[in-house]
Amino acid sequence: MKTQFESNLDYQQGMFTSLGGSLLLTFRELWAMRLTQGILFVSTLAWILLAFAMNLDVVEGSLAAVRIFGLDTGADEMVKDAATGEWVRQAMSVDKFVIGISSFVFGAAYFLGTLLGLFATMPLIGGFLEQGRIDLLISKPLSRNRLLSGHLLGVWLTVLALATYLIVGVWIALSIKTGLWLPRMLLSIPLIVVMFGVMYSVIMTLSIVTRSTGLSLIMTYGLIFISAVLTAHEQITVVLSPFAKGVFMTFYHVFPNFVEVVVIQSQLVMGEAVASWYPLFSSIAFGSVMYGLGYIWFNRRDF
Amino acid sequence: MQPSAITTSGLTKTYASAFGRKKIHALKGIDIEVAQGEIVGILGPNGAGKTTLLKILLGVVSPTSGSGTILGKPLADEEARRRLGYLPENHRFPPYLTARQTLDIYGRLSHLSDSYRKERIPLLLEEAGLGSWIDTRVGKFSKGMMQRLGLAQATLNDPDILVLDEPTDGVDPVGRREIRDRLRILKQRGKTILINSHLLTEIELICDRVAIMNKGLIVRAGSIDEIASEGTGWRIQCRNMPLELDIKRFSAHIEDGNAEQTIILEAGLLETLNALIDELRSHDVTIVSVERHRKSLEAGFLDIIDKESANV
Repeated sequence: MKTQFESNLDYQQGMFTSLGGSLLLTFRELWAMRLTQGILFVSTLAWILLAFAMNLDVVEGSLAAVRIFGLDTGADEMVKDAATGEWVRQAMSVDKFVIGISSFVFGAAYFLGTLLGLFATMPLIGGFLEQGRIDLLISKPLSRNRLLSGHLLGVWLTVLALATYLIVGVWIALSIKTGLWLPRMLLSIPLIVVMFGVMYSVIMTLSIVTRSTGLSLIMTYGLIFISAVLTAHEQITVVLSPFAKGVFMTFYHVFPNFVEVVVIQSQLVMGEAVASWYPLFSSIAFGSVMYGLGYIWFNRRDF
Repeated sequence: MQPSAITTSGLTKTYASAFGRKKIHALKGIDIEVAQGEIVGILGPNGAGKTTLLKILLGVVSPTSGSGTILGKPLADEEARRRLGYLPENHRFPPYLTARQTLDIYGRLSHLSDSYRKERIPLLLEEAGLGSWIDTRVGKFSKGMMQRLGLAQATLNDPDILVLDEPTDGVDPVGRREIRDRLRILKQRGKTILINSHLLTEIELICDRVAIMNKGLIVRAGSIDEIASEGTGWRIQCRNMPLELDIKRFSAHIEDGNAEQTIILEAGLLETLNALIDELRSHDVTIVSVERHRKSLEAGFLDIIDKESANV
């Protein structure tokens, strides 16, 4: 005799039900970590500060005054007088002001957002791979690739949402205040998400291999530190022996150029031509290889 | 004849340490066959390979060699896993999810439709005695409640095969009885259940058959009666037994020594029983009763493991 449930047992076809389950699990976990709400709160504060606390007086395309909470902070910049060669004070142009503020906020979002994001997501991958949880997830009728993809997609989409919330908010606030709409500033969003993704590949893969999220985070932060040193490759390699120079440049080409990518971001925000896309592309290549290794290991590993 | 729900042939699993210097042979060639609708208990001391065997059946661990089928499909087949339910040992549900959200997510992962999940989840939680906790975060649940939630999760997709790793771990006696009753209902519905448990009394109460594992091998398999009666002897109730009478040469011992003595004869041979009775009668001992002495499953299990260890 069939039970009530057996007669009603109903499956949904297609990959999105199971992928959606893995995605939902990741979203819920990220939301449960208060850091996500914390980043949203700080982002809201940033654009509320720009929208309501900052007053700009724009006269003929230049800033006459900038006031924050009613206090005059000055809107001048020092420029070299072409005729006399002396440094003189003059009113800052609006676009320079907007670019300056945006570069600061977006640069902070790039560094702080990524470092905090990696820190926040560390327990996520740890929990995902925890004994008693991963074995139950793997026993479900979905491939390991789909399970891991749901997790990754959840992390990426959350970072995309957080970065978009901050940057679009700041961009709208500044644009309304100044009347200057510069859509190119929004290019910071994909850059932040892509570079977060590159660095997350290290945490994910090392966590799968070593099953130690703490070690994975230390290694990832170590790579970010190394990338800061690699940024100065032109200056450093001058004083190195040919062998040391070879080793150093191998590191430069193999490891992600996290710090150097901020130059690309700055050039995009300023509307300048990007001098070299290489740091971004080599970082993406590194991330792709790491993800590939992570997927292979995840498929082969016994849990 | 019912087709087999689970079969394995020559399953082995070897874990290698980093750089392959040290190898641990967790399974050394496991052949099992579980018929549909059976409840089979997997017993064995710690490190016998029980959990490894269950995880191989579920596709969580890959075998080093050997093969097997689940409902006629190869092990780890996605389609076969749709008809499986699994409760891992020490399972961990995300503590921030409510009971309803937990089952909903695991239901999605099992491809269950929205309408089915919406209807099934409250009923299952009600059956598990968690009806009033449905929207409470599982982080606040006791161990026993987590086990009941785990069992509800394992039966969410109305599986044909249920694999339970220590299902009554941390559950109080009342909760254990509820789980047993639930498993009996599932058996009546024709479900195949594979249980790994250290609580042999639980196994004895619900399983049709048991397989005893030791050091990566199945050392004995059979019904509870077969395992429990293996090597059993006789129980002789008697009176007026002289204290100086030596019965140790019959491999017998006295269980209690009040007005009536109970002599347990460990060896089951009829000739030994008769020789002992002759000896007792020659000393004017009054025989009150003679009956078969059946061991508990636990005693049978321990005997088998002791013998296996002695043979190594």
